[in-house]
Amino acid sequence: MIPSDRRTILEAEASWIASLVLFFATVYVTVKMDIPWMAFGISAISLYILPILSMRNPFRALPWEMTLLLAAPLLLHISEGSQTLMENVGWWRDVTSIAFAFSLTTIGFLLTVELHMYTPVRMNRPFAVFFVVMFTLAVSGFWQLGQWIDQLLYGSNLLPSNEVAMKNLLWTLIVGVPMAFVYDLYMRAMSKRRMESLGFIHLWEVYGRTRKG
Amino acid sequence: MGGVRTDQERLTLASRFMQAGMFAVVLGAFVTESYTWLPAAVVSLLVTETPAILRRNLKIVLPVELNFFIVLALFLHVIGGVYGFYDYISWWDHLTHAMSASLVAALGFVLVVSIDWYVDSIYLPRPFVAFFVIMFTMAVGVLWELMEWLIDELTGSFLQYSLEDSMLDMLFDSFAGFVVAAATTHYVGKHTTPGRLVESLQIGEARDRIKGIIENRKARKGQSD
Repeated sequence: MIPSDRRTILEAEASWIASLVLFFATVYVTVKMDIPWMAFGISAISLYILPILSMRNPFRALPWEMTLLLAAPLLLHISEGSQTLMENVGWWRDVTSIAFAFSLTTIGFLLTVELHMYTPVRMNRPFAVFFVVMFTLAVSGFWQLGQWIDQLLYGSNLLPSNEVAMKNLLWTLIVGVPMAFVYDLYMRAMSKRRMESLGFIHLWEVYGRTRKG
Repeated sequence: MGGVRTDQERLTLASRFMQAGMFAVVLGAFVTESYTWLPAAVVSLLVTETPAILRRNLKIVLPVELNFFIVLALFLHVIGGVYGFYDYISWWDHLTHAMSASLVAALGFVLVVSIDWYVDSIYLPRPFVAFFVIMFTMAVGVLWELMEWLIDELTGSFLQYSLEDSMLDMLFDSFAGFVVAAATTHYVGKHTTPGRLVESLQIGEARDRIKGIIENRKARKGQSD
């Protein structure tokens, strides 16, 4: 089970540490009953844990850099320092929106990867890029709705104005579109060794299942 | 079979009536010299003619129901504008928004089913198609709200009233996405297969025609060089 080369082990360890950050942040928002962020944390963790569980191999952990991107907006959300900055520094809210947009694209990309790994879904490159962009925009829309509804029900102050909501959406568009292409390049640039150790081999490859199959 | 045909004929007839109504709006604009809704009516009329143009030039046949829906959505929009329903009826805006969102969802469905059918390297099972329709509708809704907001910011117009307004728009977008995803999944499972649906749209023939046109152009270019 344990990979022979040091690098794979180091990468997996970095990924586990990043996933602990994600895990404890999710526990924190769950304890606080912060429902939109709970949903976010739990879906991110599910995407993280699925390959590990299905292969029963902890070395199938997702790349650590992606795990960190997933955890970043959660950390910014729960950090008191970030809240203070948001109130006092004009552009800090944009920083949190950008972090959130990055994590959404990452979730879209991971979803695409895992759809290929565990379901008969097959996409080609252009369709996958389109899907990631579309997914990012749509989830951001649902996210604003969720925040708004949370605000109506529990009187939180997640979405103070229309401008905030629209800026969140704008950042998703600005970050999401290029990131979908970046992830395409990332997949192409990823070394074969790493691809295999992550089990990413099936992505965007066609294995027999086509329209007549 | 006969019953089905009369249903389709009835829908076509209703579409014609609504197009006539929009034409009346265009005429009315000139008679009463109030041109606020003239561009919307003209554009809507042109859009309702696109299925006919597609059929004539590319032989793509949209289902009669979809065609009817396109005309209905645009008709409600134009009529609502001319008669001031947008101002006097609080839910009119939401009604037209839900209508156009379900139209987008239906077009997204046709798009994704056709892609699945005609691109060999793509395979999309039915649950994924439903998921795609929901996501597609919401993504277009988000782009729409962004467009409204940016126009407001740049020109100082007043398309978005408030946070509540834009959020309700998006809420109706997501409802429309879910409803159409459920309806199309049911329809394709019960009344037709994806294959038959796509074949009936005749997109493959259209693709061949477009290819033919491009090849003709290339050949002509080759001759003139």
